[in-house]
Amino acid sequence: MENSIIGPRLRFATAVARMASWIVRTLNIGEGAALPGKVLLRIYPDAIKDLSRSLPTVLISGTNAKTTTTALCKEALSGSFSIVSNVTGANMEEGIAFSLASRNFLAESKSLGVFEVDEAYLAVIGTRMETRIIALLNLSRDQLDRVSETRMTSGKWRAFLGASPNIKVVANCDDPLIVYAAQVSPGVLWVAAGLNFRQDARSCPVCGGEIEFSDSGWTCSCGFARPVPDVKVEGKKVVFGGKTIEVDLGLPGQCNVANAAVALGIASLLNVDLDSAVRRMSQMTEVAGRYKRVAIDGHSVRLLLSKNPAGWLEVFDMVGDDPSVVVGINSQIADGRDPSWLWDVPFEALRGKEVVAAGERAYDLSVRLHYADVAHRVIKDPLEAISACQGNEVTFVGNYTSFQDLRKALDGSESPFLNSVRRLGERIFR
Amino acid sequence: MTRVKVVSVFPDLLGTYGDSGNALVVSKRLALRGFEVTLLEANLKSGVPNDGDFYLIGGGEDGPQARAAELLTADKPLEHALSSGAALLAVCAGFQILGASFLGPDLQPRNGIGIFDCVTHRFEGPRSVGELIVRPADELGNVGLLTGYENHQGVTELLHGAQPLGVVAAGNGNNYGTKVDGAIDGRALGTYMHGPVFARNPKLCDFFISLVVGSLEPIDDPDLIAAHENLYLERINQVIK
Ligand SMILES: [Zn+2]
Repeated sequence: MENSIIGPRLRFATAVARMASWIVRTLNIGEGAALPGKVLLRIYPDAIKDLSRSLPTVLISGTNAKTTTTALCKEALSGSFSIVSNVTGANMEEGIAFSLASRNFLAESKSLGVFEVDEAYLAVIGTRMETRIIALLNLSRDQLDRVSETRMTSGKWRAFLGASPNIKVVANCDDPLIVYAAQVSPGVLWVAAGLNFRQDARSCPVCGGEIEFSDSGWTCSCGFARPVPDVKVEGKKVVFGGKTIEVDLGLPGQCNVANAAVALGIASLLNVDLDSAVRRMSQMTEVAGRYKRVAIDGHSVRLLLSKNPAGWLEVFDMVGDDPSVVVGINSQIADGRDPSWLWDVPFEALRGKEVVAAGERAYDLSVRLHYADVAHRVIKDPLEAISACQGNEVTFVGNYTSFQDLRKALDGSESPFLNSVRRLGERIFR
Repeated sequence: MTRVKVVSVFPDLLGTYGDSGNALVVSKRLALRGFEVTLLEANLKSGVPNDGDFYLIGGGEDGPQARAAELLTADKPLEHALSSGAALLAVCAGFQILGASFLGPDLQPRNGIGIFDCVTHRFEGPRSVGELIVRPADELGNVGLLTGYENHQGVTELLHGAQPLGVVAAGNGNNYGTKVDGAIDGRALGTYMHGPVFARNPKLCDFFISLVVGSLEPIDDPDLIAAHENLYLERINQVIK
C-alpha cells in the first residue's frame, strides 16, 4: 500500500499518537496504546478506516479467551502472513486505532490484520475495517456495569452478521448465545470449543424456554439446537473432517486446546498449513505474562488472569497441584466496579489449599470464602500475600487490574507518583 | 421449628448478578444457629414449590425476567408461601416483577405478581449504576445503614402509600427524585441492592430470618463476624468519605 493514501492530517495524527505513546512508555505510566489511541481518534476520527485500507482482517471476540486466542492465531498464521495486531488487551476503538498507527505500510507484504475486539465494539470495528473472518468464542456474565447484558450482545452481533454476508464466521457451537448470533451468516465454520459455564445459556435466546444440555450437545423444544461441529476437540486432539491433529501446547489447561482449535479453524479458512500452524502454537509458554511461572521471594508462582465466573472454572483446572493460591480482586473501571460475581464462582473448589485473599476488594472475597468454607487469610498487597505463603508453588489469580498491578510490581516499575500521573491522564482523556 | 427450606427462585433466569449468594448466606446463618437447612434451586424444570420458608429472587436480563414473571403469576407459589408464614427477598429485576407492572423486553408493560403496590417504568436518563446506601425503615429495627450496589435502567414508583425498604442516603434506589429504595410489606422485602445484599448486610439477613423463626442467638464465629465487619465498614467509608 502506498503511503500516499495517508493524507497529511492523518500522518500528523499518527505522528502525535506515536509521540504520546513514546512518552507514556518512557515514563512507564501505561500500556502505551489506549491514551495515544484517544489522541489519534480525537485528531482524526476516521483513523481506523483509513489506516486499515487494503488490510484483510480477522477479528476475534467473546467474553473470555480473546487475548489468548488472538495470540495463538497470530502465531499460527505468522509463517504465512505479515501480521498487524493489537497491543495486548487494547481491544476497544482507541487501542485498535493506535495499533494501526504503528503499522509500517512500506515494509509489509502479504499483510493480515488479527485483532481481538471488545464484545461491545465488534460491529463498529467490523464495519470500519476490511473484515474477512470473525471468530466468536463465548458469551457470559462479565463486568455488568460496563458492558451490557449477554443476550443483548448476542442480538447485536446477529444483526451485524446478518447484514454482512461476505464475512466468514468461525463460531463455538457449544454456546447457544454464540450460535444465535452466528447462525444468520451464510458460511459458518462450527468449532466445538466447549462451554464450562452454562448459567447464562440456560434460557433459549429464540423462545425463552429451557435449553437442555446433554453429553452430545444442547437443544430447545422450539427447534433451536447445537449445529453439527466442523471442528471437534477430543482431549489433546483436534479433529477436522477426516484429519486428526495432535495439539500439545506449552500453555496449560484443556481450555487452551479449544482456543487452539479456533485458531486452526481460522488458519484453515486462510489455507495455511495446519501442521506448521500447530508447531508454532506449541512453542508458546505465555501470553502477555499470563500462564508463565516466575520466581517471587523463593516461591515459584504461576500467574493467571481471570475476571469472571466462566474464567474461574478454567482457573480451577489450571491450579493443579500448587498447594497455595493467592487471589487478587480489584474493582477499577476495567475490572467492573461491582464484584458481586464472586458469588457465582464455586470457590469451594479451593478447600484444602492455602488461600490468601488480596487486592482492593479482598474483604468481599473474604466474606465469599467464609461462606464457601475455605480457610484463608487476608493480605491486601499481592506481593506480600505471595511472600507469606507456606507452599513453594503458588498460583496467583488476579482480575484485570490486579494482574496488571502485580506485573508492574514485578518489573519494579510501580511508583505511586507515576500512578497518579497516569490516573490524571486517564481522567483528562476519558 | 428446626428444619427449614430455603428456595432460590429461578436462578437459571434471575441469577445474573451474584444474587444467588443471598440464598447461601441465609442458609449458612440458619445452619450456624442449629437449624437443619435444605437449600433448593427452583429452576425452570423443577418449578417453584409453595412449601418453602425462605424465598430469594435475584436480578437478571429482560427476557428471562418476563418469563419468570409469567411462570410465577400462573401458579402463585409465592403468594401461597407468604400466606403460610414464609419470608421473601427480591432484588432488582426480581423486585420489579413483584409489583403490579413492569416492562418487558419490548418495553411494553407486563403484569407483575402484585405482592408490592408499585409499578416500574423505563427511565430515559442514564442507567442507575453505583454504590447505594439506604437508611432502613423503622420496621427493620436495628439493622444499621444498608449498603449495596445498584445497576438498573427501570425506575419503580410506589403507589398508595406502599412502604419503602428505606430512604436513600447515597445512590438512586427506586427512582430519581423520590430517594427511597425497595419496598417492605409484611415478610416480603424488595430492593435494588446487589452485593449480594445479605453478604454486605448480615444484620438485614438476620432480620429476614427472624421474620420466620423469631428471635435469634448471636453467631458464634468471630472470624466470620470480623470478615463481615471489615467489608461493611469499608463499603460505608468508601461512599461517605
Ligand atoms: Zn427455544
